[in-house]
Amino acid sequence: MGRKVIAVVRLALAAVFLVAGVMKIWDFKLGHSATPDFTVAIQSYHLLPFPELSALLAIYLPWLEVVAALALFVRRLALGATAAVLGMSAVFLAAVTSAWWRGLEIACGCFGKEDAMTDYPTLILRDLALLAACSLLFVAEWRRTATAAESSTASASPAPEA
Amino acid sequence: MIAQVFRQLAFVCVCALLPALVSGAWQLQWKKEEPLAAGEIRLATARQWGDAVQWVDARSRTKYERTHIPDALLLNEDEWDSLVGPFLDAWDADKTLVVYCDGGSCEAAHKVAERIRADLKIGGVYVLKGGWAAWDGK
Repeated sequence: MGRKVIAVVRLALAAVFLVAGVMKIWDFKLGHSATPDFTVAIQSYHLLPFPELSALLAIYLPWLEVVAALALFVRRLALGATAAVLGMSAVFLAAVTSAWWRGLEIACGCFGKEDAMTDYPTLILRDLALLAACSLLFVAEWRRTATAAESSTASASPAPEA
Repeated sequence: MIAQVFRQLAFVCVCALLPALVSGAWQLQWKKEEPLAAGEIRLATARQWGDAVQWVDARSRTKYERTHIPDALLLNEDEWDSLVGPFLDAWDADKTLVVYCDGGSCEAAHKVAERIRADLKIGGVYVLKGGWAAWDGK
């Protein structure tokens, strides 16, 4: 896999998660915190047992998206950040599929406040593409880290005597 | 390698926790100080009024049919013309109307309340602060 492709995937994922996170933190259109709307969006999935959990998740999840997006560019954190975006993508896909399965008419909440009801097939395809991109980047990061660890071990070993 | 993944993941999660804590603390403060907009009432007030309240659901028909506040009447902007007749038939002039929508910053309840005041000339119309989310969360 070319380095350029990986760089483009990394950039695209970072942009998606950064924008999604920021829009869940602040409503630029109305000029106030977007957390209440995101809390409502999470509650509409009916997956969490307590409303308080929805509120806590609505506060934490957007920041995790933002931090993970930025950490994708930090060499020593990229593997963990890729695992984070991969995990979040899997959870988003599971939540949306479950909502579709239960016949819920909800707004996705993926990019902050959305008035339109979710078009499930399109959204699931989008989440699958996101999951595929995250998996690709994770494999690339895993290989890069493994290679770096091997070369570090090799350089630390004493040179064989002639 | 797996340990390295989890170590980095944990670091990223902790780094996200710090701004989230600050944001959460600030928003709790903000929530306490958030004043009611004109025509809004809190759920606790509406509950105190008890049977004197007629709930009006300004959300979509789909959401209303899935679940709504007991005895709430459906009246939304999209189906105003067809819903206003049954609404007026069921309306009890002795009751105070409290309109609600999804919650958060949804504006549907304010629009419907304004239209009830302007088009139907009915006074004493309030909007539930926090909407359905406030009701569902209690």
